[in-house]
Amino acid sequence: MISPRGVFHPSTGRLTVTAMSVIEISELTKTFGEVLAVDHVSFTVEEGTVVGFLGPNGAGKTTTLRMLLGLITPSEGSATINGRLYRDLRSPLHVVGAVLESSGAYPGRTARNHLRIQATIGEVPRSRVNEVLELVELTEAADRRVGHFSLGMRQRLGLATALLCDPEILILDEPANGLDPEGVHWLRELLRHLAREGRTVLVSSHILAEVAQTVDSVVILDRGRLVSHETLNQLTAGAQQAVRVRSPKARELAATLAAHDANAEILGGDQLRITGASSEQIGTLAAEHAIPIYEAATEAPDLEDIFLRLTAAEQRKGT
Amino acid sequence: MTRLIRTELLKLRTIRLTYGLLATVAALTALFATLEASRAGTAGTGVAPISTASGLSTVTTVTGFAMLIAAVLGAIVASGEFRHASATLTYQATPHRERVLAAKVSVSAAVGAFFGLLAGVIATGVGLLFASGDGTHFALSTATLLGHIGGAICGAAALAALGAALGSLVRSQLAAVIGIFVWGIVIESLIGGLFTSVRAYLPYTAATTLAGAKLGNAAFGPAHGEAGSAGPLPFIAALALLAALAVAVSVLAARTTVKRDIA
Repeated sequence: MISPRGVFHPSTGRLTVTAMSVIEISELTKTFGEVLAVDHVSFTVEEGTVVGFLGPNGAGKTTTLRMLLGLITPSEGSATINGRLYRDLRSPLHVVGAVLESSGAYPGRTARNHLRIQATIGEVPRSRVNEVLELVELTEAADRRVGHFSLGMRQRLGLATALLCDPEILILDEPANGLDPEGVHWLRELLRHLAREGRTVLVSSHILAEVAQTVDSVVILDRGRLVSHETLNQLTAGAQQAVRVRSPKARELAATLAAHDANAEILGGDQLRITGASSEQIGTLAAEHAIPIYEAATEAPDLEDIFLRLTAAEQRKGT
Repeated sequence: MTRLIRTELLKLRTIRLTYGLLATVAALTALFATLEASRAGTAGTGVAPISTASGLSTVTTVTGFAMLIAAVLGAIVASGEFRHASATLTYQATPHRERVLAAKVSVSAAVGAFFGLLAGVIATGVGLLFASGDGTHFALSTATLLGHIGGAICGAAALAALGAALGSLVRSQLAAVIGIFVWGIVIESLIGGLFTSVRAYLPYTAATTLAGAKLGNAAFGPAHGEAGSAGPLPFIAALALLAALAVAVSVLAARTTVKRDIA
């Protein structure tokens, strides 16, 4: 369990808990030969937040995370954790737990032995191995060789490895890859559980909807460039919301709305999909024109549309 | 460093490959020692009777193949991390990669030493078994036999350390393993056969002479048994040569490939 970081003021007897950046990426750049994989990317991750790190395949997410973990040397810029380069962390496994795309387990070794090795290097008691196996629901398969695991089981083992030393920060690269719908649900619950414990989580994905229910904010990368870094509310605020309405006078309502600069699409029968007007505005207009409304529902903004729009805009800029 | 060494030892203890290589060392040493003992004293083989010091030592020093296997073990310890992408986890746990390299070289040397001990004991056991079957006294003293076993331990440890350094430098497991066999079986035989004056300085040959093998006795192919005019290096010189090689290759690896990106 992670306790929040704070400062105790003896004069007032109060504990002030302040959000601080635990991850700082500054002008981070990486070129592989002629290929510019990451292009002057800067963002921060505040303590105790869950941040989605998004972008299409090849956007530079994994390269950025590997630079943060000291596995790849940046061409320019810096990536720090708690103000230090990863290699300068005193006990890195106790500060950061990471799951990268590859599980990193030797296929001929059992899951339990894989974790025993990590427990030895991380200097945590052997009993912790059983705890994390239980947490990721791999107890039954603990003595099977990792080479016989499904991709989903390997992802779970990767999470168990990351959680073994009880780190305050988690860096997860595409953890939902290979998980079935039940597994994705399980992962979502686990991330929520970790967030409730006050841990900082940076989770990458190429599907916004996959992490939308869990994250506080998103960092979107495309072609190595930072496209957006904002909260989900900020991200969806600019998106056009739609209202679905059922009315026996659908055509009349559509015409009335069109006269008020709203756009109504008749979906067939008595159904309309309206953009450019809120449900309150639609209700008021309908009442003024004595048009009955049987049902009105606001559609959630389509996250994938937003994501695709942002990344497509970046691609247009790049060409 | 102790923690890293414990971790590397645990890694080796928890894979079947280690036990497979150990079994290979035991089986091949027993096989070659038995073959040499069977040939001893037979006309045309060039192997003296087992009742003589020369004949018995030909059998008790058949530990060269175990040394090559020890080098292979070292190469696998280091390069296997890249083959199975476990280097990612290893370097996350220990970002100072040169420490990981030092731990791998040390652990490989320790396990290699065990391979050498096993091979030395088996070869000596087979030699004494055949010698006692002849109903004669043993032509080599206990001290000499223990010296052969000690030499096998040192030679296998040194080659295992060299193998680990090489595995770190090359990073490709297949290339490292093939390279070790090609070097030991083909290249050293060729160089040793053509230039007998440098034979004593070749790493595999130097390791085998540590264990008491006559110069050229551990060589494969046409160079086998061709001692030439030069003698083996003194024990300390051979050991220092192998240690220097392992350190040099380790330093080269630490300054080049070990620093490379793990993408």
